[in-house]
Amino acid sequence: MAEAIDYFQFVLAPQMVIGLVLGIAVILVALGLTIIFGLLDVINMSHGEFYALGAFLSVSLAALGVPFWLLLVLVPALMLPIGYIVERVLIQRVFHSPDRHVTTLLLTFGFGLVLEDVFRLIWGPNPLRPDMPISGAVEIAGLFLPLYRVFMIGVGVLIIIGTALVVYRTRIGAMVRAAAFDRNMAASLGVPVQLVYAGAFAFGVSLAGLAGVLLAPIYSVFPTMGRDFILMAFTVVIVGGMGSIAGAVIAGLFLTQVQAIASLYISPVWADPIVFGIMVIMLMVRPQGLFGRLGHA
Amino acid sequence: MRDALTNSMRASHLLALLLVVFALITAAVGVAMNDTFYLRLATEALIFAGLALSVDILLGYTGLLSLGQALYFGLGAYISALTLMQVPSFWLALLVAILSGLALGLVGGFIALRVRGVYFALITFGLAQVVAKIIYNTRALGASDGMTGVPIINVNLGFTSISSASPAGFFLVVLTVTMALYAIAAYLLDTPFGRLLIAIKANDRRVPFLGYKATTLRLGSYVMAATIATVSGALYPMLRGFVSPELLFFATSGNAVITVILGGVGTLVGALYGSILLTVIKSVIGSWTEHHLIIIGLLFMSAVIFFPQGLMGVVRPKVAKWLSRGGTS
Amino acid sequence: MRTFRTVALAVVMSATALSSIHAADPIKIGVVTPLSGTYAGIGQQVKWGLELATKEVNAAGGIMGRPIELIFEDEEANPAVAVQKADKVFQVNKVDFLTGTVNSGSTLAVGQVAERAGKLMATTVSFADSITTDKCSPNVYRVNARAGQQSSALAVWMSKDKPKAKVFYLGPDYEMGRSTVAAFKQSAEKVGAQSGGEVFAPLDSKDYTQYFGQLRASRPQVLYTSVAGNDTVRLFTQLQEFGLLNNLTVVGASGTVTAQNIGAIGKAAEGFVTGVGYSAEIGTPENKKFVEAFRAANKTDPDLYGADSYGLIYAYKAAVEKAQSTDTDKVREAFKDLKWNTPQGEKTLRAGDHQAVQTMYVVQVKGGKFSIVGEVKGEDAIGPDTCTRF
Repeated sequence: MAEAIDYFQFVLAPQMVIGLVLGIAVILVALGLTIIFGLLDVINMSHGEFYALGAFLSVSLAALGVPFWLLLVLVPALMLPIGYIVERVLIQRVFHSPDRHVTTLLLTFGFGLVLEDVFRLIWGPNPLRPDMPISGAVEIAGLFLPLYRVFMIGVGVLIIIGTALVVYRTRIGAMVRAAAFDRNMAASLGVPVQLVYAGAFAFGVSLAGLAGVLLAPIYSVFPTMGRDFILMAFTVVIVGGMGSIAGAVIAGLFLTQVQAIASLYISPVWADPIVFGIMVIMLMVRPQGLFGRLGHA
Repeated sequence: MRDALTNSMRASHLLALLLVVFALITAAVGVAMNDTFYLRLATEALIFAGLALSVDILLGYTGLLSLGQALYFGLGAYISALTLMQVPSFWLALLVAILSGLALGLVGGFIALRVRGVYFALITFGLAQVVAKIIYNTRALGASDGMTGVPIINVNLGFTSISSASPAGFFLVVLTVTMALYAIAAYLLDTPFGRLLIAIKANDRRVPFLGYKATTLRLGSYVMAATIATVSGALYPMLRGFVSPELLFFATSGNAVITVILGGVGTLVGALYGSILLTVIKSVIGSWTEHHLIIIGLLFMSAVIFFPQGLMGVVRPKVAKWLSRGGTS
Repeated sequence: MRTFRTVALAVVMSATALSSIHAADPIKIGVVTPLSGTYAGIGQQVKWGLELATKEVNAAGGIMGRPIELIFEDEEANPAVAVQKADKVFQVNKVDFLTGTVNSGSTLAVGQVAERAGKLMATTVSFADSITTDKCSPNVYRVNARAGQQSSALAVWMSKDKPKAKVFYLGPDYEMGRSTVAAFKQSAEKVGAQSGGEVFAPLDSKDYTQYFGQLRASRPQVLYTSVAGNDTVRLFTQLQEFGLLNNLTVVGASGTVTAQNIGAIGKAAEGFVTGVGYSAEIGTPENKKFVEAFRAANKTDPDLYGADSYGLIYAYKAAVEKAQSTDTDKVREAFKDLKWNTPQGEKTLRAGDHQAVQTMYVVQVKGGKFSIVGEVKGEDAIGPDTCTRF
């Protein structure tokens, strides 16, 4: 029995905490992706680049002297208009084509390519890193917890709860869900559908940008970082159900825990194939994911 | 029966013929000028055109966007390299590639064809990533360095033999193989099989009522595309003498998709012209700036927004109209 | 009037002298290097090093009266592109010599192109042992130090500074990462170090904290790592975050902490030790002159890639002058055991495997810069000649 507790305390629990940190980050990225798909029916292949953009912006602003606390608010705020413009200028152009899924996928894929090279053009190819805003650690029950990671988990949870509250408990949220469920009906009821769409896209990418700000001090910043999360984020969205917030949260936690714990027993190289395998199985068994779509859940 | 599909196919054939004529002229000029590099570059463009062709079969005719077609291309390249290093025979390598393509296509199709649309794209993407990573870490396959040492081979045509080191000669060999792949694809797609595929793409719920199983048809198309990609990949090590894991990476798949969009989705011949177009663009822009991805990305985005039918998508209907006017009288 | 005529004469004479150099057929060197993508930083240093040396050589009259002309092509760190561009510079630009490749896959593939084109090439960056051991080629040369030399130098330092230390190994899980760890482990155990365990993390891992449990349990004095680029930034930052750097000396491959990522690693890099073939701190007058000229031209210090690329031009110059020709076979003959001067001292190109033998330096990061803490003689650091292909 003592052995089991020891094992839990020194091996399993730390691994779970690591999985949790990663999970919060993945959920933040996936949340934006699932809202964008659930509401706009748009596949945003450039979502990872918005995560990267948030990180790059935080590095530049930090270098100008902006304190970290302000960055957490400023960077997502900056990304809102950027996302809004992208939706109105780019996405809307192909929104009304018959095979919207394919064309938006292709368009955002191209956009992602451009963004990655733009990052390289502006910030250079070498890695950058903002200073750790909170240093120090705390040791609870033998678990070594850097304070910054505890902070990240806290902030992440707040954001996720906040998003869920906004979507399900506010009027704006009701408008978003209505537009997702039935666009024309919502429009005829006075919901400003265009605004809601653009706003939802902007919100989605700014969530990704926020994840970028949070992770930059521990994962560093470089032009190809957008690719870090993309496969995982898409897997979470698919497993959780396109358009479902609860799905993104649960799938995000589950998949990152699976990855973290599995790497204790098998070579970590198999982490990606396992995640991919879960995605394939889910698509074969229950293609709509664990939960339904935004409006339909 | 001369319907729209047949008309547009005939237009494609005419354009393909034009391409062949243009290619032959290029080869002649190349030989006259004792050129090596440009002929080899053109050969490479044709090899990647084969990959683009396989993407077009899936996207343009079956309605499936594959973001990981480089998987088959790269595997074809590795299989060909391994075969050639044991037995330097062109025909054997080609045969092994065809058989592997069929087998791999069946396996891949089984995994990927459970779903369509976005999910299909993501599964193909993930599949290519996973296999690429496995190869990247496999020492027996050269790991991250890939494998050099694929010998120069002689393509035995019975009456003569062409060396893979001969720029013009091998260019003609690859031209023949690529056009053969095009011809096979075009033929198969102009049959009832092809029409059924287009029917599924338009509305796949009705087709079973006609007595056909949509999944089997899609699998057929997928296997055909996989085999074409594998055979094209098999030609690569013959030209360049080596293989590396980068051949399976997303960049290769992405380039194929860009090629198809620029060239014209659903035209088959668009994949060929698109590959030449992209090779030329990359070469020109590449020597001009190192940020060529921005330019190609913007070009691609404009194509998706403003010219979704691509180059051939604009040209072919005009040719088809011209042909049918000449035909019916 | 006399002054005017003298000046005019001087101007006319120097103009003729200059034009006579430029009128002479240039010696073309193709540079196929990553100018875009992840390794653009390294490609930039290579470019700067080559350009500086070319400028100096041309100002002094070129090679046998002919100026050097560098022709740059971007290989995007992709062997398929590198091969295409190599083909171009050999066939279209008709270069006499080629260099610039960074990753070993590109070097090997381009080496084969060079063999088939009947030309010679050299790498100034790739450090995979295979390039001058089992995959050596009669047309490929390496003027920089290979992984084996780096490990030997580091192992020698460790035996003096941290005798019989317990070492934990952490490498990226791919060919290069594993073989680098294996090579160092061998060298280290030979000088008495104990091994505390090894872990291989997937390339591009985001979070190394999952391996820290094993690391802590092993209680090593030294951590050897062969991660590179962005992975290094993450590993070191996270080690610091978890307080593991307090009682640990971190050593690694020369590609682990470089000019490209040292800025991002910041204070977490303090104390890191590695074996390299070059340091900007080397006190010889040649190096001081080189560093100053490099700094003036590019506003930044040279790193090993810039310095080795600079040295290559002089090696080629020496070989061509010895052979009195740019013909491949004659230059190859001239390269055999060629000795030439570089900012880091005299190097010898060993005839048996085309590998440069040079003094190796052990450097440590102090205050954000590398300082020399040890030196190992060339003969001691170089391994045996295991090239059997020629």
